[in-house]
Amino acid sequence: MFNTSEVYVVAHSLVPGSRHYEKGLKELFAEAFLKVLDQVGNANLGAIYVANAFSEVLQDQGVLGAFLSDYVGMRRIPAIRIESGDGSSGVAILEAYNTVRAGIYDCVAVVGVEKMHDVVNIKLNKALATITDYEYEGFFGVTPAAQAAMAMREYMLKYGYDYEDLATWPIKMHERGSKNPLAYMKKQASLKDVLESEVVADPLRLYDVAPAVDGSAAVILCNKPVKSDAAIRIDGIGIGAYGTYTGQRDSLTELLSVRDATNMALRTAHVSIGDIRIAEVHDTYSILGMLSLESMGLVRPGETPRLLSTGALDAGNKLVVNASGGLKSMGFPGGASGMYELALMVMELMNIKPFESLGKAELGVVQDMAGFDLVSTSVVLRRVS
Amino acid sequence: MVDQRLSVPRYWRRMPQYYRLEGVQCIKCGRVYFPPRAVCECGSREFKPYPLPSTGKLINFTVLYSVPAEFEKMKPLIMGMVDLGGVKVIGQIVDCMDPEKLSPGIDVEVVFRMVKMDSTYGLINYGYKFRPINNC
Ligand SMILES: [Zn+2]
Repeated sequence: MFNTSEVYVVAHSLVPGSRHYEKGLKELFAEAFLKVLDQVGNANLGAIYVANAFSEVLQDQGVLGAFLSDYVGMRRIPAIRIESGDGSSGVAILEAYNTVRAGIYDCVAVVGVEKMHDVVNIKLNKALATITDYEYEGFFGVTPAAQAAMAMREYMLKYGYDYEDLATWPIKMHERGSKNPLAYMKKQASLKDVLESEVVADPLRLYDVAPAVDGSAAVILCNKPVKSDAAIRIDGIGIGAYGTYTGQRDSLTELLSVRDATNMALRTAHVSIGDIRIAEVHDTYSILGMLSLESMGLVRPGETPRLLSTGALDAGNKLVVNASGGLKSMGFPGGASGMYELALMVMELMNIKPFESLGKAELGVVQDMAGFDLVSTSVVLRRVS
Repeated sequence: MVDQRLSVPRYWRRMPQYYRLEGVQCIKCGRVYFPPRAVCECGSREFKPYPLPSTGKLINFTVLYSVPAEFEKMKPLIMGMVDLGGVKVIGQIVDCMDPEKLSPGIDVEVVFRMVKMDSTYGLINYGYKFRPINNC
């Protein structure tokens, strides 16, 4: 019989997303990494997993891990870079979790880092086009925003919604962000703000797009908790894949990789979706946040705009969605996005500032996704003791 | 003058697809794929070339205002999902001055156009685009 270890998140940190012009990948990485290192004192780190999507395109840098670990004085520690587009973090967490669970290392660090603002916007669009099927999509100008826009149009037609109905996502996320000092977008947004914002890819507007930021976030995973109070344990983790050319999908309103990842995570955690009390979902575009919730089974298909508008997914309810304000408010740090979601979830479960009024929730889920439903991960976390 | 022998393999390798919308049909079960693939859903690995029809229907579309660098001069781009005889292809919709006139279900035809300038070699890349058959 193969004995497996439990896996705890023993430290977490994040550098609030922003336009950090004075910091490169190395400085951002070091800031998040050294914070988690200091939290655990003398952790015997076996490896560092680095989640990053675009360093080749945006910084002309390959073998990223090597230079990052050297910068923090750890060149003998293998730093393994994981690239899975904007879903890199979830895959890095999965790999790190597996090595601890299998007993290969007692402790590993997982760090997401991305610098989106090293180039002008049009070059950033080029980087984002790499998370499409480049030969047949990116080559012709298709971007993730174009895919999200078509999904949004299909969703509106399928469930009979107007654009105004879907504007509840950015409004709610901005509302949450306004109460979160770690957020990049800290001001509230009115329906008028959303409706008057520029069209990015019709019907998708600027307020539907998580703003690109530079950032880094980190956790340390160990096979036992470091402190006895409020330990956070990873109870289940799942990965799902449905990578294909957009034209080969039957529907743009079901994210099958998200569904499979979540089912696997719930199965390994021995819990059901109804047990989940808080969720952080990957809302690079409003529509993808909504489709993720529905594909995970947290919300019935087509119900998200209605539930959001009644406040049913706000703090104080059975299920709280993106208490942080999501990527819409935190910003979109490419391949580091999922690490932000994870670090925030840990804070939410531990009721750490600014989430002290969230209420004691025992079970949370973090969902990350690459591109349009290409590869997704879900992580079920439990607050123990 | 750019030496055409410098033409990048990753572009000319795809000419049957970019120029003629050549998909593949599974010899065993008849399923058609675009883009081509190595293994069919039925498990078969034997395919024959299958050029897609040159007319079809628009299913979904968006007017894209924020575009990758090499399309900057052509923006906004209208990106559409088109059904060509049961196979869906995503690509640019052209010759449409008024996107308000676009709606799912309208007839479109395949046209052959310049896609972009290759940013490294300065070569012009050509490929399929779609044009509404009735004026737009
Ligand atoms: Zn077949």
